[in-house]
Amino acid sequence: MIFNYQDILDRALNGPYIKEEDWDLQKVAVTTAKLVQTHKLAWDPEEIVTNDPGLADAIFEAGLELAKEVGAYSRSTERIIEFSPRELEDGLERMLQTLVMGEGKDARTLFPRKVMDKRPPLVWAGNPGAPHPEELFLPSVMSWMQEPIVDMVTCGALIDVDGREVRTGDPIEIISARRELQYMRQALRRVGRPGMGMLAAQSSVSELGDLAVAHPDYLRPCDSHLVPMLNELKMDNRNIARAVNSLEYGMRNASLPCVIVGGLGGDAPGCAVVNVASFILSNLTCLADYHLCHPIHMRHIATSTRSVMWVQSIVEQAFARNAPCIIVSDIYPKSGAMTRELLYETAANAIAITVSGGHLEGCGSADGNAPNGTGLEARFMGEVGHAVTRQELSLKEANGLILRLLERYEDVFDRPEGNKGVRFDRAYDLRTLRPKPEWERMYDEVRQDVRKLGLEALA
Amino acid sequence: MVSEADYLERIKKTIIAGEAQAAPLATKEAIDAGVDPLTILNEGLMAGADVVGRRFQTGEFFLPELMLTGRALKAAMGVLEPKLKIVYANDPSTQADTGIVVIATVKTDIHDIGKNIVAAMLTASGFEVHDLGVDVPIKSIIAIAQEVGADIIGCSALLTTSMPFMRDLIDLLGAMGERQRFIVMVGGASVTPEFAERIGADGTAPNAVQAVQLARTLIHKARQGQGTDG
Repeated sequence: MIFNYQDILDRALNGPYIKEEDWDLQKVAVTTAKLVQTHKLAWDPEEIVTNDPGLADAIFEAGLELAKEVGAYSRSTERIIEFSPRELEDGLERMLQTLVMGEGKDARTLFPRKVMDKRPPLVWAGNPGAPHPEELFLPSVMSWMQEPIVDMVTCGALIDVDGREVRTGDPIEIISARRELQYMRQALRRVGRPGMGMLAAQSSVSELGDLAVAHPDYLRPCDSHLVPMLNELKMDNRNIARAVNSLEYGMRNASLPCVIVGGLGGDAPGCAVVNVASFILSNLTCLADYHLCHPIHMRHIATSTRSVMWVQSIVEQAFARNAPCIIVSDIYPKSGAMTRELLYETAANAIAITVSGGHLEGCGSADGNAPNGTGLEARFMGEVGHAVTRQELSLKEANGLILRLLERYEDVFDRPEGNKGVRFDRAYDLRTLRPKPEWERMYDEVRQDVRKLGLEALA
Repeated sequence: MVSEADYLERIKKTIIAGEAQAAPLATKEAIDAGVDPLTILNEGLMAGADVVGRRFQTGEFFLPELMLTGRALKAAMGVLEPKLKIVYANDPSTQADTGIVVIATVKTDIHDIGKNIVAAMLTASGFEVHDLGVDVPIKSIIAIAQEVGADIIGCSALLTTSMPFMRDLIDLLGAMGERQRFIVMVGGASVTPEFAERIGADGTAPNAVQAVQLARTLIHKARQGQGTDG
């Protein structure tokens, strides 16, 4: 039995040795392929939201088996962090059923959502990790913080501070992470929501920034930070340090396994199995208070691809049915601000997540790879999620709607140059912090269209 | 009687199936039967690798298949390489546009899937690839490149805040007077052709297939340049 996190550290130091390449191929890839075969797991690109409880259960079962059979891997020590079946099951039983984010009147309580839950998803707005020049950071985050539908917030990463380039691992990461939190706290006050919960410390990739902001002036204990799992089923000392850092301070840990569809798990079903295993293992390795569901498409990156939406949906259904826990699913569309496709991608993704049992986080517009995100698509994400529950959309109806939405945007994945749209400052008026008329017009048109396509409850 | 085509087909199948034990055996059988080493390379090993590359591009194959093919190819090349060296020594014009690549995710970045795919595709295309892993200090990348006589240094970074270390590597090569010795390719989700040009890299590619094409083109150019100079 695991009594404290030092047990994990001991196992990372003393577990069986294995070369990383052998872990990838022999442990993860081979075991996952075997489980996909024995459980007869398959997916249909025309059925992105599957109405097949048996499949969701089989995915969960296979994921649990994978976690039990292989464990996790410490890249720093090249050792396997082994867990007994009982320990993993104990971790599942202890997953939080309520989690308060933020404080005072702005606090919100996260909870495990059910499949076709009538309760609206909580709306976590922002483009986590998207690179931002310092001059754009404050207005960008305020653009989504000010949206009434938003419950919690996150942010991009600063790429420069005071004109200096931020480099991973350099002392300037300490400054950039603190500056980010200064801006976030200032922005929350300016929009009149000082107690709103945050997922932050995005401006430091190494553990330096995470350590630097564990202070009530910056990231409060009622906020959260990322504790990533690496691809696939791996930890390293940097990320273990993030978990350790939260032990005494008490901030919330968001596990983040970005499982790659087409990666070591193979196609979508294997990826879903790896994602389930990652959540199960991250209960212990990341000390997860909640889970971020963010599969990545091998070639297209975006979460709005068919296979990634399928993985998000089936993983959410698998946990909702077998081990209810708090899952917040990321929306990272291919397209960026001032494109209609961004809004269609956001709608499809939000429908799939909401009906399957997830909360919403986003949008990491333009693949989260540019400062091309705005508050408007975050608003739309929340509106679509709320409409799905108001309309009590079934899984089948949701799937039909998503297929129609895909017709509106799927061609973006074939565009060699992507569909990046424009930077925040070209989509918003920086003085008023309102969307520029053209962007607002696109939003109105797409909203009307989505309503006509079948989401009538969209206000 | 086993024909040359049968030998080549068997090699191709082992490469497509990613059989690291069977591929060198099939290669050795073909060598022992007197099949021309260049034919084994191009119509056996590379033909199999091309199939895998295409299937990966179309989404029929995934990363594990690519990695297994890389392993099989590496094992087979271990058997074939001594024979190829003799062929190349006798007639340098027969040498394919491949070479030695040192590849790494740069210092502070721990993301390796993109780099692994490129490494696997390069291996599967006949390059000798030294994959140094992730979070590799630029001095180590250069030192290994010098040690193994690399033609290409391939740097990868997913994180925007790790990309400056690619520039550092190129600057350091310049300061050491070694810039002309290596082709430097850079890659990663946020790396654009403009970035590559700005930092003085020789090129970047948006995906692994195009990275292999670029590597071949750059090697070809470099060898032509050497020929002209020489």
